[in-house]
Amino acid sequence: MNRWIRNVMALWALAACAAAGAQTAAAPLDIRVQDLKAEVMRLNRDLLVLEEELLFPANTQVALFVSMDVGKLFNLESVQIKLDDKLIAQHLYSPLEVQALHRGGVQRVYLGNLKAGEHSIDAFFTGQGPRLGGEGATARRDYKRGTTLKFEKGSEPKYIELRIRDSQQKLQPEFEVKVW
Amino acid sequence: MKPPEPSLAKRLLAIAIAAAVLAFVYNRNADAQTVAAPAADPLPAPVKAPHYGDALFHFFQENWFGSLTGLMVSQQFTRIAPHDDEAEVLRGGLLLSWGLHVEAGEVFARLIETTTAASVRDRAWFFLAKIRYQRGWLAESEDALAKVAGVLPAALQEDRLLLQAQLAMARGDFAAAAVVLDALHKDPKASTVGQGYARFNLGVALVRSGEVARGTAMLEQIGSASMATEEERALRDRANVALGFAALQASDPLAARGALQRVRMDGAFSNKALLGFGWASAELKEPRRALVPWDELAQRDPGDAAVLEARIAVPYALAEIGAEGQALARYEEASSFYGSERKRLAETIKAVRDGWLVEGLFELNPLQKGQGMGWFASVGQLPQMPHARHLAPLLSGHEFQEAFKNLRDLRFVDGNLRDWLSSLSVFNDMLDQRRAAFTERLPKVRARPEGSGLAALAARCDAIAAELARVEANTDTEALAPAAERKALATMALAHETIAKAQAVPESAPAEDLAQAAERLRRISGALTWRLAQAHTARLWDAKKAQRATDAALAEATGRDAALERAQQEEPKRFDAFAARIAMLSQRLAALQPRVVALGSEQQAALQDIAVAELQRQQERLDSYETQAQLAIAQLLDRAQIAQRTRPARGADAGGTGQPR
Repeated sequence: MNRWIRNVMALWALAACAAAGAQTAAAPLDIRVQDLKAEVMRLNRDLLVLEEELLFPANTQVALFVSMDVGKLFNLESVQIKLDDKLIAQHLYSPLEVQALHRGGVQRVYLGNLKAGEHSIDAFFTGQGPRLGGEGATARRDYKRGTTLKFEKGSEPKYIELRIRDSQQKLQPEFEVKVW
Repeated sequence: MKPPEPSLAKRLLAIAIAAAVLAFVYNRNADAQTVAAPAADPLPAPVKAPHYGDALFHFFQENWFGSLTGLMVSQQFTRIAPHDDEAEVLRGGLLLSWGLHVEAGEVFARLIETTTAASVRDRAWFFLAKIRYQRGWLAESEDALAKVAGVLPAALQEDRLLLQAQLAMARGDFAAAAVVLDALHKDPKASTVGQGYARFNLGVALVRSGEVARGTAMLEQIGSASMATEEERALRDRANVALGFAALQASDPLAARGALQRVRMDGAFSNKALLGFGWASAELKEPRRALVPWDELAQRDPGDAAVLEARIAVPYALAEIGAEGQALARYEEASSFYGSERKRLAETIKAVRDGWLVEGLFELNPLQKGQGMGWFASVGQLPQMPHARHLAPLLSGHEFQEAFKNLRDLRFVDGNLRDWLSSLSVFNDMLDQRRAAFTERLPKVRARPEGSGLAALAARCDAIAAELARVEANTDTEALAPAAERKALATMALAHETIAKAQAVPESAPAEDLAQAAERLRRISGALTWRLAQAHTARLWDAKKAQRATDAALAEATGRDAALERAQQEEPKRFDAFAARIAMLSQRLAALQPRVVALGSEQQAALQDIAVAELQRQQERLDSYETQAQLAIAQLLDRAQIAQRTRPARGADAGGTGQPR
């Protein structure tokens, strides 16, 4: 039964062995791949910095962000933004993106250039509100909300955040604008 | 202790990291709050830097590369404050998510040095410990783990204890591992799955440290428990298999059978259990009972080593019960199968070497723009190719999974660099056009014959300001009079003069008429003076307001002119600086591309080598089984011949085959 005992021990080792030993040190190939990926990552950072400085210099840069601070009352579907009456951004949201916003992510929806002076933003969002008829109901109320903001663009980058918030009193979503 | 399933370890590490990053990022009073179970999200705290929120937006969508590079860009532009520490924890986690554990280790090490927040340091030490353990630096891992001063959030705390036990077992101190795991086992807050693994690993640790009875009792507890989830049921099966083989090794086949028959027939460990049950029965000299599970096993997918072994275990049992004819037939069948399987393995090896495996894997796991695979995703499915079942053992192999992820990341990186190559050439074109436009237009604007005219305008503004000041100081109401009133003033002045001249020459007009005219003129002058006085304040205010607006416009124009003058000096230097940066980045890109391609080829070859090594191991195993089958066939034939020679000569036997019954 020597063969069987040998097999028993081999399968015992295979079946019952805990990871008593740590994994072996990374092979040189793995290290080289990591080093290369790290270099590519740093190159990407430098390229993105160059791209931003070249295409969107700080003195003309304007960035628009969308965030949500809502509970379960509102399901965002789309956002549309006009700058000085010109449509500059519109976005249809995937469930994954909506979830990311719900979890506190902030979406940079537009990056562009603007000359100094007064400008105006008109932003609209659409979505679905609370279920009509309580729990178990499937129909939801459609919402469309908008906001207008006039702002002054100087020589510094301008960051504007469009926050979609719950109004717990009205049980409706509303826009809030934060100029950073 | 977690079983040797590196993909599971990686998943738990991912959950721990995600939970820790979320916990740290979203809980301002991180020490006072506990992290919920990984499936539940903590409530978000306000993000005070939108660019940091943008990194989170991509992070939550598992776009590791996009989140990481975006975060690094925002850190470069210093627009992350006040989230600097959290951003570094996030960056460390993202580096780990993208497989850069060396760099992640450096981030956490730096955080430890620079941050004052105890909770951040503790988490950083813990992640460093995990990273070092993954890399096999056990002493360094223990050193880092020892530096975690406080209590981590619940999910991480459990992982901390498991890591502590793993490290103790790695240095052979099973008693110490048992103490740690015992504490976890008794912790009511530990997760059910965590407790299950803890008990399993404790049982193994106890057995290895010599406390066989206690270890066996622990494994027995798991092996006979009622389990709610599939993961827990799989753990129960594993515990029963471990018990069964331990009992076999201890020459207690009865106990072995008792444990092995609790293993589910359709679970991942059923094949091993069937094989072990057969051995236990064979040890108990019950070959008929051994035959039942082995026969069942022999009909299963031959991709499993246990199934291959069963093919010669069955004829062994048949021979033991005296059915040597059937045994011989089954041995020959097994030998033939092993021969065919060997050929099929050779075909699979050729297909792997020809690249079918790699291309098939990429079809199943396509690259998505902007995303790498993520270090904690695993290949769970084999591609469509002939005899793909030969490659099934690869899926649970850590080396294979890591090699494929590396290859996938290298292909992603290759595409990324190609995209940037075309973008850089566009940047160069843009820069050339801007430089040309600038060189053409600015000198024309600056060199106008009348100059910018700003000096003259400024002089005029100053003169107007001085005049306004005089008007205000002297309350000169006439200075601000509109054209009609100035004309009226001039008319009245002329009238005054005319009347005065007339009065000087008495015969020019009747005195009474002159007196009336003078009186009338006095009244009109008075009314006009009153009106001028009434309107003066408002007019002065309007004039000063207009002057301020003019000053402002002039200042803006002067500023722009100055900016143009500066631009004339500085802009060419800016263009040169951009051109130099583009050239430098192009060089870096050009240097990286061939390395990516070369490393990709090397990684593909390494991946294929891993697969081929596994297939060759299977071939060797088949060779061993085939040798045993051939030996057994020879022995049976020998026995048959001996039996025939020693049988009293009375003619052919009833069967006429010469085969033993």
